[in-house]
Amino acid sequence: MNPESTQGPRITCLGQGVIVLFVASLLGFAGYLLWHKYAAERPTGPSAGSTSTESSPPPAGKVVEFGLAYGTEKKRWLEWAVEEFAKSRSGQRIKVNLIPMGSLEGGQAALSGDRRIHAWSPASSLYRDVFLQEWEARRGGGKSPLLKEETLALTPMVFVLWQARADAFSAKYKSVSFRTVGEALAEPAGWQAIAGQPDWGVFKFGHTHPQQSNSGLMTLVLMAYDFHQKERGLVLKDVLDPAFQAWMAKFEAGVTGMSNSTGNMMRDMVLRGPSTFDGLFVYESVVIDYLKNAEGRWGELRVAYPQRNLWSDNPYYILDVEWSSAEQRKAAQAFLDFLLTEPIQRQALVHGFRPGNPAVPVRFPESPFMQYERFGLRIDPPVSAEPVKAEVINNLLQIWQRTRR
Amino acid sequence: MHLRLAVLLAVFCLTACNSKKSAPRAGADTTDQPAGEVLELVFSYGSEKEEWIKECTAAFHARAPKTTAGKAIKVLAIAQGSGDCIEEAISGSPRKVHLTSPASEAYVKIGNARWASRAAGKELIAKTENLVLSPVVIAMWRPMAEALGWPQKAIGWSDILSAAQDPRGWSAYGQAQWGRFKFGHTHPEYSNSGLISVLAEAYAATGKREGLNAEALAQPSVRQTLLGIEQSVVHYGSSTGFFARKMFANGPAYLSAAVLYENNVIEANDAQRYPDLAFPVVAIYPKEGTFWSDHPIGVVEREWVTAEHRDAARQYIDFLLARPQQERALSFGFRPAAVDVPIAAPISTASGVDPKEPKTTLAVPPADVMDAALALWRETKKTSSVSLVMDVSGSMRGSRIKNAREGGRQLVANLSARDRFSLLTFSSAYQWLFQDVPLSSGRERAQQAIGGLIEGGGTALYDAIAEAYRAQTERQRADPARIGAIVVLTDGEDTDSRLKLEGLLQRIRFDSERQPVRIFTIGYGEQASEKALKAIADATQGRFYKGTPENIGSVFRDIATFF
Repeated sequence: MNPESTQGPRITCLGQGVIVLFVASLLGFAGYLLWHKYAAERPTGPSAGSTSTESSPPPAGKVVEFGLAYGTEKKRWLEWAVEEFAKSRSGQRIKVNLIPMGSLEGGQAALSGDRRIHAWSPASSLYRDVFLQEWEARRGGGKSPLLKEETLALTPMVFVLWQARADAFSAKYKSVSFRTVGEALAEPAGWQAIAGQPDWGVFKFGHTHPQQSNSGLMTLVLMAYDFHQKERGLVLKDVLDPAFQAWMAKFEAGVTGMSNSTGNMMRDMVLRGPSTFDGLFVYESVVIDYLKNAEGRWGELRVAYPQRNLWSDNPYYILDVEWSSAEQRKAAQAFLDFLLTEPIQRQALVHGFRPGNPAVPVRFPESPFMQYERFGLRIDPPVSAEPVKAEVINNLLQIWQRTRR
Repeated sequence: MHLRLAVLLAVFCLTACNSKKSAPRAGADTTDQPAGEVLELVFSYGSEKEEWIKECTAAFHARAPKTTAGKAIKVLAIAQGSGDCIEEAISGSPRKVHLTSPASEAYVKIGNARWASRAAGKELIAKTENLVLSPVVIAMWRPMAEALGWPQKAIGWSDILSAAQDPRGWSAYGQAQWGRFKFGHTHPEYSNSGLISVLAEAYAATGKREGLNAEALAQPSVRQTLLGIEQSVVHYGSSTGFFARKMFANGPAYLSAAVLYENNVIEANDAQRYPDLAFPVVAIYPKEGTFWSDHPIGVVEREWVTAEHRDAARQYIDFLLARPQQERALSFGFRPAAVDVPIAAPISTASGVDPKEPKTTLAVPPADVMDAALALWRETKKTSSVSLVMDVSGSMRGSRIKNAREGGRQLVANLSARDRFSLLTFSSAYQWLFQDVPLSSGRERAQQAIGGLIEGGGTALYDAIAEAYRAQTERQRADPARIGAIVVLTDGEDTDSRLKLEGLLQRIRFDSERQPVRIFTIGYGEQASEKALKAIADATQGRFYKGTPENIGSVFRDIATFF
């Protein structure tokens, strides 16, 4: 593979937008995290951005429906929340239609005028500016289609393996990292060579599709950081390094699955067991959400954090679009306010998210981060990697595309 | 029961019989529609999950479900082979299907590739969810599995190949009394487990677990493996359930092992279902890896599917995936797709299965590779010698003879060029029109002869079958590597034979070690003696079909899947 070649695969306009604004969103989000870290230590507080007038229920006697396109990593939490909302006073005359979609897919659907969608909650704000740019390009008018933006919940990325496989892996490689996973993937004899277990087959590891899923793109960035053993200052030279490219190509050649949905991929691992995936690189939240289910199927899971991490902030956008009525916007706001209330945020915690409402504590005995420590979960976020420049992401995706040929 | 054609009209307990009005759903327009306004959702699905779907569909209807617009939802659930699910969705005939669930992702891939080539790259089934799961296994009688070294030794396709190719049969394992090693899987072009068998055999021959491609399939070792295993196949067929029932009811003399689903093994060891099971049956999870039968369900992306159909489909899918239905799936031996339902009995070693298996799975290859694997299978499959015994008595006049001629021609069309074909007609007496014609050169002649049949005279059914059996048995002796079969079509009771039924049954009695000739009988119309025809089919481990002028084409097509 020639890194200098100009004949490489081209990234779509939308993809370029994603790259350009990936950096901006990470920078912005780094600021948010800093704020969150301190705000989380406050005992209580109102949910950010909500107002009592906005969340008032719709006029009596009329049921208002609105559609929320959302990333499947939040499926269980949101489905539960919708049921609870229906029982609440503000939810009495509101029907929330949950529309599961990939992070990019939801935005594309709204851009295409999907009249079912009145609010959108992708996995991260990574796509926000891309969405705005595309909206302006298609419709003009200079008016933002995002009426309201709010962070629902946070989660970092983790490695997850079945316990027996994690133990065998650690016995051989000492730690779980992109480097050691890459070594295992490159082992032609698979588990026979890794742990003397020929009936476990080859080492089967997966992550989502970087061009379709937020967690897939994060995987590539963290792989690059890990290869160069640094937390900041990842530059073009690093990703163009032939040694990195060769390592990444080898790594990706062994990766299986490549779903467009992190939630579905995790569910598949639990459903089909180690016969299909020995391990995945996914959001911490989806692992927590499936820990108990996994025990009921194939046994315990084990979690390991990469040395450097990136966060997903799960934003909630209320759309200001022509197919959305004032009542529907109010209904979307009412549901957002409900999602940010303490009981619902506590339930987000049960589903593995670190709450977006900083008033909701993470450190208490029943918290999954304390309760599930033995699975490898850590309450303190791992080191955050520094956001990288657009050209770095651009080249990273180009290189990745080549590995898929 | 003829599964391919079975149309399952579940009991509809709609508003008319439901005195308690269901609670309106929030946001739905709950205005009552004019009486009788119904939305029919046509749902085709792989017959492996027939019992579960029947029960769930009845329960769904009992809730009096309605679309958002207020129409009553009626699900017309049709159990059929996975291949037929896809073909029907593409052709739109005989039914326009709105929702489908073949037994595995492999058929969704095939369907999407075929539809994309016709419809400018569009997908036939865009989004799917798994309803239930079951690993594909080699079901084997426990003593036979133990003779191969199980459970201490992991068994796989290589062991099946060795057993299949050893001319000593079970003698090589110190069990001479078991005779030949007899293996079975369904027809890969119609049934998911058959397709999976062929892919798994190919994977095993290459040593791969993923990345099966045309280059790998072209290796001589792959052809040799397929040839070796396929030669031990007793016959094919369209339904995994039929295979399973035959194996469990007829014992190890009929089949030593067959490619089935894990849930079939659980059924076998259910003493209420099979009180006289010869031995326990165990699931072998092939050491080289296997596939999941993952029962994807998805809306058919065709022009006849409206937003209302999608609404109804969503409600029905949600119902199937809800915890109570998923827990029922477990009791039918399936692994629930809802991960919050833990795996428990009957998925346990007590039922012959292992909840911690499979340890490794094989990747479903792209559609073009599956097509290449099927092409290789057609070249390596066991060949057949088939005799068609056709009633041309006077009562066959009109649409009966016309449609039977068409069905017979279809049978010939569906046989391979490497097969051989014979045609015997009978009325008051029988007559061979031709015998043992290779279809590579004689297909047109055979079809012309069938197309030219005319009716007249009485019905010497038993004499005709006896003659066909005699001749077919001789052919089998001369060429034992072929599947030997007779297909009998008659519309009446025997009136002119010298031989009686009891005498015929004695002559044709099944002997698995003496190259068997199986007889498939079609009772065509109401006058045919179902009892006698069923006895003849059962005596030879064949199958009885009830035919009508309307369904005779598909009956012949189904019979062709056995060869």
